[in-house]
Amino acid sequence: MGNRDTSSETLHAVLRSAERPSWPQEERMIAFLEHKYGQLVTLDWVEDPALRDGFLLKVGLDTYDWSVEGRLRQFKDAMDRLEHGEQEEDIIPLIRETVRAWKPRVAAEEMGQVLTVGDGIATVSGLSGAMYGEILIFSGGIRGMIQDLRREEVGCILFGDDAEIEAGSPVRRTGRTAGVPVGEGFLGRVVDALGAPIDGGGEIRAESYRPVERPAPGILDRQPVNQPMETGLLAIDSMFPIGRGQRELIIGDRQTGKTAIALDTMLNQKGKDVICIYVAIGQKASSVAQLVETLRRRGAMDYTIVVSASASDAAPLQYIAPYAGCALAEYFMEQGRDVLIVYDDLSKHAVAYRALSLLLGRSPGREAYPGDVFYLHSRLLERAAHLSEEKGGGSITALPIVETQAGDVSAYIPTNIISITDGQIFLESELFFAGQRPAVNVGLSVSRVGGAAQTKAMKSAAGAIRLDLAQYREMEVFTQFSSDLDETTRRQLTYGQGLMQLLRQPQYHPMAQHEQVITLICAMAHLLQDVPPAQVPACNRALLERIRVQAAELCRDIDRSGRLEPADRERILAIARDFLSEWRPSGSVKQHAQQ
Amino acid sequence: MTIGTIAQISGPVIDVDFPDGTLPKIREALTVETDGTRRVMEVAQHTGGHTVRCVMLAASEGLCRGLPVVATGKTIEVPVGEATLGRMFNVLGDPIDGGEPVPASEPHWSIHRSPPSFEEQSPVVEILETGIKVIDLLEPYPKGGKIGLFGGAGVGKTVIIQELIHNVAMEHGGYSIFTGVGERSREGNDLWSEMRESGVSDKTALVFGQMNESPGVRMRVALSGLTMAEYFRDEEHRNVLLFIDNIFRFVQAGSEVSTLLGRMPSAVGYQPTLANEMGELQERITSTRSGSVTSVQAVYVPADDLTDPAPATTFAHLDATTVLSRKVAEQGIYPAVDPLESTSRILEPDLVGEEHYQIARRVQEILQKYSELQDIIAILGMEELGEEDRLTVMRARKIQRFLSQPFHVAEKFTGTPGVYVPLSDTLAGFKAIISGEMDEYPEAAFFNVGTIDDVKKKARELQSEAAS
Repeated sequence: MGNRDTSSETLHAVLRSAERPSWPQEERMIAFLEHKYGQLVTLDWVEDPALRDGFLLKVGLDTYDWSVEGRLRQFKDAMDRLEHGEQEEDIIPLIRETVRAWKPRVAAEEMGQVLTVGDGIATVSGLSGAMYGEILIFSGGIRGMIQDLRREEVGCILFGDDAEIEAGSPVRRTGRTAGVPVGEGFLGRVVDALGAPIDGGGEIRAESYRPVERPAPGILDRQPVNQPMETGLLAIDSMFPIGRGQRELIIGDRQTGKTAIALDTMLNQKGKDVICIYVAIGQKASSVAQLVETLRRRGAMDYTIVVSASASDAAPLQYIAPYAGCALAEYFMEQGRDVLIVYDDLSKHAVAYRALSLLLGRSPGREAYPGDVFYLHSRLLERAAHLSEEKGGGSITALPIVETQAGDVSAYIPTNIISITDGQIFLESELFFAGQRPAVNVGLSVSRVGGAAQTKAMKSAAGAIRLDLAQYREMEVFTQFSSDLDETTRRQLTYGQGLMQLLRQPQYHPMAQHEQVITLICAMAHLLQDVPPAQVPACNRALLERIRVQAAELCRDIDRSGRLEPADRERILAIARDFLSEWRPSGSVKQHAQQ
Repeated sequence: MTIGTIAQISGPVIDVDFPDGTLPKIREALTVETDGTRRVMEVAQHTGGHTVRCVMLAASEGLCRGLPVVATGKTIEVPVGEATLGRMFNVLGDPIDGGEPVPASEPHWSIHRSPPSFEEQSPVVEILETGIKVIDLLEPYPKGGKIGLFGGAGVGKTVIIQELIHNVAMEHGGYSIFTGVGERSREGNDLWSEMRESGVSDKTALVFGQMNESPGVRMRVALSGLTMAEYFRDEEHRNVLLFIDNIFRFVQAGSEVSTLLGRMPSAVGYQPTLANEMGELQERITSTRSGSVTSVQAVYVPADDLTDPAPATTFAHLDATTVLSRKVAEQGIYPAVDPLESTSRILEPDLVGEEHYQIARRVQEILQKYSELQDIIAILGMEELGEEDRLTVMRARKIQRFLSQPFHVAEKFTGTPGVYVPLSDTLAGFKAIISGEMDEYPEAAFFNVGTIDDVKKKARELQSEAAS
């Protein structure tokens, strides 16, 4: 970096070292600097016992680092450069060659000095060429990201422990905006918000480095959502279908099964050529470990990456974690692949950002969140898209999770995110404790685009189940004290109860498409109308088994083609009628075997 | 050309020094080049000395102090006129549809203009039929008027806007301008392809600044779209339809940069200039003696709170308001219009006719009575009500259901074909319910249908289903 200060005739340089340089040494330095900057130079010496075998020379904004640390760092950089894109086997001769050829260089570097530090925020002097959003390196290798470029100083958030940084310590530029390494090697791994592995599994070979903040695909780079992303959950696939490239919010109080839905969806992607990324924000490290264990045990880790910024990580790390996860997802999307990304959860993300903003001195708005908290999430979630064929046709499906307090969906952060996503699945604790799991509230949940992505079979089978159920719920409340119900209302009520029973589904039991289609066809045809509600799930399981035996090829056809001919529907209904005519509520031996 | 340098960057707000003291005017556009791309910012304040404070209309990432900034001597200008039809633009008037740029020979207008004067104003009188029952009956939209669609997140504002585009813009024959302010890019893509398929794209211009873009863009894009509409009104004396989805995002973007511009925050953290900013924009959206602008604006209601300063400030500017409610949506009734909160300035006997007025008021009375009785029903049950009240409740529930209606634009998701209900059929239908003609029909038959004849048909189907 050249010195821009051309107005003064003489240049002032400061030399820091342990011992005073000899007169000839000083002469040589001055001559070098005068030659380099084309100006007269005066040199001052400052004693610094820390610099035993070397010196630091500061001229204006440039610093020449000839300390032991500085030269070691140059050496390390040389080794770092060497690693990229090389084969494992011939690495040793390469290292030998690099070590032999390496010579420390005398090069000017822009260095800053820490002015203040605390609460995960630092201000730094100097660094006039620094870019907005650039990564800086502090002493001890801690990194920080520029959030404010002021006239005389730079405001910066720290991705590490601020206790290791002291005022006056040097800061270096990297010339890069915040980014993460990406590559195939990340599959099956657990990494932190900066892409470094934390699962004890060794280095990850990166194929490229991507900025965490990138503009979302434009309007013409997209195509409508038209392929299903099956969750394996009947309640969701039938009523709130999710398509590839959609953003569907999962929202509810704590302990209502939000993560369980995301997890089931990830498990259901096995063998479907979908890459899953799970971003944990502000969670207990032990919960994340448990989730990874579950994924591993069920064979889902092979196609999954977990990005974790746990509750003990600094707020800036929690802040960039979802963007880092998204950068990883984009790497795969741009190769034309389908990615599912889960952000668990964005309410903690908003809290981390609020902490940062307030510490940076930005003024608070509603619920003390800063004014741009909407933009925080909108620019993240808009990056999930279904790319046009010209762009490779890849997709990112996002499942953000938001925690509500006491079931209040109309709080600030929940409504913000609802207004960004293409729908929401609202989980209710009352339903959850009543045994209705997944505890989906049919009235408040919605999927705005998924319907276009449903397979023909599913769409024709599901029909108007959502509106039927919403009406049932309203009717249930309205008639709770009534005794003289007319026939239509009574039938509507038992039909609704039966449907609610069918939608119960235990965790880790995904339903294949044909199972869902058959269940829905029979239910919507009111075939289960006369089965006592409590017996409906068992009856349905037995029925599915019967159809699997009697019409195995039909089941395969539905799974493969996603189509359902009218004749097939009749066939399913015929088998079901036949089965139900023999079925007795008390439960036969076969029923017990099923349970 | 005057050249300055960047002195300070704080998110989307940038300070630029002009050492020789010739400062660009407020609202002037400045440009800066990095990595081969040209970014634009707009002057917001002179902060004293040789410095101006600007708002970026692009991302700030990658900018650094000392970069040269060029003052263009002009405000932001967008192309207007016939050349904009069938095209899609960003806030700066650059096409984003992959086509050629609009030639410089076409007229360009500054996006900052003054509102029409008092004597140019023309009052509204005529009803605009939308084919949506609840709107035509309870809050009829005026031709050349200003219409607001208020609703919290995910209750269906955008779907109603799209249905109105389908029902009104496609029938209307005149020019329409659609402005997407801080909404989803996916919706932009859907709308673009829909417009092309339906063949109305040659009468429509689209302008987008969506939610992934920086606050400066979302603050200005409504003006870009509005300017295009004003040209057709003022220069070509046409009747223009202007759709804005979503005007709240304009306020929101302003509040994102407000404190960075050094202003004190006002109520709920909004900018102190909220009412002025809204007024300046809203007063430009109006019909004049030379031409009319019928505007439909979606207004997002943050946290479902209608008293929030942003929606509350918007209410006063509108002739008709449709309020969408989560409680109605929860019952599966779409469009989820709250029939008692929605209003129209033209629902008066002189303007809509005595019959329409009486039916609408009677419907509101019945619904109001039902909402009062609801608490009693919840505690004591229907049996405790008198005969009269019971009848009111039954009719009210039928009215509630009959206010729902399948939409054309939702057909691909729901599988139910949409319906357009002419105003005369709407009136006849509700008249039949309130007069007691329909008391015998089950309430499920009223749900999600078009005219009263559809109700009768559905009732027969339900009956045969129950009998089988």
